[in-house]
Order: sequence, then C-alpha cells, then structure tokens
Amino acid sequence: MAECPICGNDIPFEEGTVKGELIECSDCGSELEVISVKPFRVDEAPMEEEDWGQ
Amino acid sequence: MEIGFLHSVIRKDEKLLIEEFNTRKNVTLNMIDDRTLKFDLKKKQFNYDAVIERSINHSRALHALRLFESNGIRCINSFQVASVCGDKLLTSAMLQDKHIPQPDLKIAFTEESALEAIEEMGYPVVLKPAVGSWGRLLSKINDRDAAESILEHKTVLGTYHHSIFYIQKYVEKKGRDIRSFVVGDECIAAIYRTSPHWITNTAKGGVPSKCEVTPEIAELSVKAAKAVGGGVLALDIFETENGYEINEVNYTMEFKNSIATTGVNIPQKVVDYVLKVAGGENG
Repeated sequence: MAECPICGNDIPFEEGTVKGELIECSDCGSELEVISVKPFRVDEAPMEEEDWGQ
Repeated sequence: MEIGFLHSVIRKDEKLLIEEFNTRKNVTLNMIDDRTLKFDLKKKQFNYDAVIERSINHSRALHALRLFESNGIRCINSFQVASVCGDKLLTSAMLQDKHIPQPDLKIAFTEESALEAIEEMGYPVVLKPAVGSWGRLLSKINDRDAAESILEHKTVLGTYHHSIFYIQKYVEKKGRDIRSFVVGDECIAAIYRTSPHWITNTAKGGVPSKCEVTPEIAELSVKAAKAVGGGVLALDIFETENGYEINEVNYTMEFKNSIATTGVNIPQKVVDYVLKVAGGENG
C-alpha cells in the first residue's frame, strides 16, 4: 500500500505494476507515477511538457 | 534476444507493449528510463539487438535514438524517421517528394511573409507549430484580423520555433478524420476520430470508432509511411473532395483507444515487428 501525496488516500498495489507506470488515485483523481515497486511508492506524475506526445 | 525499451512515464500504451513482450520466449526486455539515461559517446555502452522507442518527450527520443544508432543498435523507429515525423514541415516535404496527397501548405519565416502567404491561400487556414503534438497550439484562422493577431503573438511571445510558420489550408472534415496504423509493410488497422470540434485528436476528446481498412486507405497509408522512412507509424488522414490526404505522421503511436475499437491486437503486431527487426530482418 502506498499513500497518495495529494490527498493521503491509500493506493493499493496491483500485481503487474511496473516502475514509471501512471496510475490514478481513486479518491482525488490525481495522476500519480509509480516511482518504486518494492517498496511500493508513488509520487505526483510529471507535468505535461511542450514536446510531449504525438 | 535483448530488447531495449526506451521510455519515460509508462502509459497504458507502454504497459500493453511490456505485457506483450513478457509473453515472448527468449526475449529479455531491458527498461531504459530516459530520465536516468547517460550516454558516453566514446564507449559502446549497449548490447541490445534492438531498441523500441516509447519516450513521451520528442526531444529526448530523437537524441537518444541517434546515440543508440551510434552504438550500432537498430531502433524502432529510426532516428531518421523520428527526425522527420517530429517536424511537420519535414514530414510534409518528404510526403511532397514522394507525391503523397496532402492539404495545401505554405511555409514562411516572418510575420509579414506569413500574412501574405495566408492571404494568398485564402481563409480559413490552420497555423500549426512545426514541432508539437496532441493538437496543442493549433490555430484556425478565419480572417485577416485573427491572422495579424496570432502572427504577432507567435512572433513576440513564442520561441524562434514558433516563427517557422506552417500554414495549412483548412480542410472541412465534416466532423471526423481517419487514423491508420502501419507496421512495416502492412496497414494493420484504422479508426475514425469524430468530434464536433475542428480538432479531432483523441487527446482533445475525439471519439474513436472502427474504420474499415479499404485497399485505398491501406495503400496510401503504407506509401506515406514509406515516404518518411517506414516502421511503426500512425497516420492522420483527411477525407476530402479530392480523395484522401495525409495530414500528419506520428512515430511514437498511441493506440490504447484503438484496440477494442478495431479488434486488432496492435501491441502484438508491434512486438512481432520489433522482434523481426531485432533478428536482422528489414521488417
């Protein structure tokens, strides 16, 4: 279990989760990035940058 | 087989590709986070059979691909393809070289010449940043007042990139366009993107629905993909009175919304292709 850095909600670990994966907090809806799998830790996802995407 | 997987954040698209790679025997997937990557130009640092590029940042992807290729690694897509597709102007030039149909286009480098070009073309036009994505900073210009204002803003407030004026004749899309997916020599799938807004990108709320890959769509898509160097590419196609026209070609294609819509296992097709290239085939 990790803690949402925005609202403090518990974020459950799901099997198959990988480092760098974007997930959403089920409580506040914030986009989070998995920064570590073992131990399971999340942080705010990076902000969109000018050269992102297609 | 050793495959490098160049990435930054892992979106649903990347996750689907990772899961597909993990089903393959004798394949080791090496995750390469571009945020921690360090290149030493004088060393051969990497021994991958191929690198699949899935960075979200165009600039990092572009430069990393060049450096991986310096290490003798085949990349999907290649640096050359990324450099062309990352720049709408270069893409259009390559398409024109191969006589691929595309909307009318003018390029200008100053506020004054851009205004002249727009007036010659006639309203409405769409002004696009040459480097940009997800439909951001596109301007539909309906009259001279708007043209003068937007050109001034771009010149005064933008970086020099925004003074490379890419001016496309506005195409009346009747609320939708087509996105087709090409892997190697095959157009594997296509979707319509429908929106009441003139920008139909799914990133801007365009709704996907299945589009049949007709021989005409397949042929044009593969030709256009080859024109920019080929590989794993997504093409935006307008349906016009003159037939299909290629609007853009994307080199790190996003497909998560298109698998259920088309019924095509896109990550499977992409991984098949990457492994083929890694094995020494031309794809």
